[in-house]
Amino acid sequence: MSDLLNSAEDAAFRAEIRDFVAKTLHPETREKVALGAPLAREDFARWQRSLYEKGWVAPAWPAEHGGPGWSARERLIADEEMFRLHTPPLPGFGLKMIGPILMRFGSEAQRTRFLPRILSGEDWWCQGFSEPGAGSDLASLRMRAVRCEGGWKLSGSKTWTTYAQYANWIFCLVRTDPEVKKQEGISMMLVDMASPGVSRRPIRLADGTEEVNEIFLDDVFVPDDMVVGEVNKGWTYAKALLEHERLGIGGVGRSKHLLQRVRIMAEAAGRADDPAIVAALAGFEIDVMAIEAFTLRLLAAAEAGERIGAETSLLKVRGTEVQQGLTELMLDVAGPAMLPERESPCAEEPFENVAYQFLNWRKLSIYGGSNEIQRGILAGQVLGL
Amino acid sequence: MKFSEGFSLARCLGFEEGNKMIRFDIPSEEATLLRETAERFVADRYGLAQRAAMLADETLAQKNWADMAELGWLAAPLPEALGGLGLQPVQITGLLEALGAGLVLEPVSAVMQCAATLARALPEAQAQDTLDPILSGARIDVMAEGARGKPITARSDDGTLKLSGTSPLVMGGNIAATFWVVAERDGAEVLCPVPATAAQVERYRLLDGQPVARVVFDGVTVREADTIADIGAALRFGADMGRVAILAESAGVIDALYRATLDYVKLREQFGRPIGRFQAVQHRMADMFIAREEARSMLQLAAEAQESKDDAFRARLISAARVKISDNARKVQRDAVQLHGGMGVTDELPVGHMVKRLLVLAQLGGNRQQHLERFNAAA
Repeated sequence: MSDLLNSAEDAAFRAEIRDFVAKTLHPETREKVALGAPLAREDFARWQRSLYEKGWVAPAWPAEHGGPGWSARERLIADEEMFRLHTPPLPGFGLKMIGPILMRFGSEAQRTRFLPRILSGEDWWCQGFSEPGAGSDLASLRMRAVRCEGGWKLSGSKTWTTYAQYANWIFCLVRTDPEVKKQEGISMMLVDMASPGVSRRPIRLADGTEEVNEIFLDDVFVPDDMVVGEVNKGWTYAKALLEHERLGIGGVGRSKHLLQRVRIMAEAAGRADDPAIVAALAGFEIDVMAIEAFTLRLLAAAEAGERIGAETSLLKVRGTEVQQGLTELMLDVAGPAMLPERESPCAEEPFENVAYQFLNWRKLSIYGGSNEIQRGILAGQVLGL
Repeated sequence: MKFSEGFSLARCLGFEEGNKMIRFDIPSEEATLLRETAERFVADRYGLAQRAAMLADETLAQKNWADMAELGWLAAPLPEALGGLGLQPVQITGLLEALGAGLVLEPVSAVMQCAATLARALPEAQAQDTLDPILSGARIDVMAEGARGKPITARSDDGTLKLSGTSPLVMGGNIAATFWVVAERDGAEVLCPVPATAAQVERYRLLDGQPVARVVFDGVTVREADTIADIGAALRFGADMGRVAILAESAGVIDALYRATLDYVKLREQFGRPIGRFQAVQHRMADMFIAREEARSMLQLAAEAQESKDDAFRARLISAARVKISDNARKVQRDAVQLHGGMGVTDELPVGHMVKRLLVLAQLGGNRQQHLERFNAAA
């Protein structure tokens, strides 16, 4: 598929990335990513160490905090190349979420303590936003924070906490004032997972993995210096996340990776010339092109100094629709070959993970603000309805 | 964030002529002026009632032609050496989007395509002489081709070519002075100028009211000295230019439908409040917005690719844009009518007319299926 960003500088930058990945990516990890197999902690940790040593682990961080100083354009290219080369996408809870929040709203002490450890991978963060009763209506969250000597006592539960089993820290939205308007009584706190009173229950997903968890906090003490910014301003900080690094949210690199996998599957299934599959693939390829073209328009606007706002919700909606559509196309291409259970003796590549990925990736249109929430944002903030 | 109108996709993407590369141009002052002028023109002269009057008396629309030429619209895409304004494709999409949104009845895109083809096919001196009256609006020339699989043929006969075949749909054919007929002679394409008086011109209207013509060339003779051979590259370029123009018009209509519908759901009240306050309607409007932005983005890609000398790259991007814009046109047609309710199926609002125009545009220059095949073939 054509790359639209390919000036001489772009090509040189792509080559630099390809060269680095070829030298450093562990073959076992590459194989797993190429086949859509589940990734272990070590796959992420190993790759994060390589990127860290190269100085590329946090593409969007400013150089003063340890970022590579890439432009938005270079970040898009890097993202695309990394997907093309089957590198594992690093979980973003530290690198893309709490890191940038601390840069903007955290104390000097918090920045000094946490940012280097996020980069190096010494700390693994998870996100404590959703609760059993607060999903799309996040602001109705109920985890209680009660004032005590030197800090706060937290009680309640968080859910859908991805990779909490690997995490040593969790950033939580908690209710510090139940008396005011719901958005105005929320604070953001940093909680050591080793604190007394923290427990975890893994949630088994339909695809058989346990990548998410429920987290219970029972009278967990959080010292004052672990509150982010001001008390009762947590909602503002959480919303600021929506403005950070959203140009890549259309997942163009990921979609091109999926297109490639569908092609490989169609070959393996002997259906590369099946007119229905050829037409469907072309349709998706064009869909991805449209997302990429829109991303580039936003990129150009950003480079011209315009503020990018709710328009990125378009990227989230279309990007996830296309990615999910491609996992559905994989089901059609694979046919009965996708039926054997994962790791059963009859399971065969490249079809073994197809159904599991279809199941797992239903989450794309649900997390990070469901696509219904994104359409609501577009209607409210862009269309003025 | 606001996009500037006619915003260019690839300002900072670098460009080398002939390369597979997407360029970035901020719309020049000329391009912005062209678009704004077209928007005013449409606002002044193409109200629903005015357009209905023109449709009832097709000579009325022709009165606009001289003004359109005067405004430089026909000359916009041609090189300055040939009397054009020398604007890049991406600089004239704004003009064509505005004309599309206004549902204009004059064959601007068809004449642009013809002029662009002639500029490449004719020797320079002849091109100048031929193009001058076209660009000044003094005469209207258009291309004429056979139907798919039924080319117009030419047989040599003692210094003349004898034509045989029919162009079933010639945009602007109803008022053209000359048809530049693409005929097949011994397996090669040859361009034959045929005065309208020499051909059998059957005028008719398309479903959106546009006056066009079916032109029969059976038995028409052309002096061999007047024909032009070796025109493959010029035809391909002209055809892609025409396609991008059609896409620009389509994106303009899509935008107009989106805006009309957005206005409507803010005004129309049911259950005691504007229907745009209901979530089902909001989400549908969000999808229309997405469809419009995707269409604009793909138009820009196509316009950027139009001058690439890499045939496969150009074909692939323009055909991709045709497919996507067809799909999104269909979505927007559906949603606009649905959200207008009963009013959407009447002839009294612009909506119905815009829907009809999109049905027409989707068939010009090759439809979705043909372009999906071309997209795959150019991989």
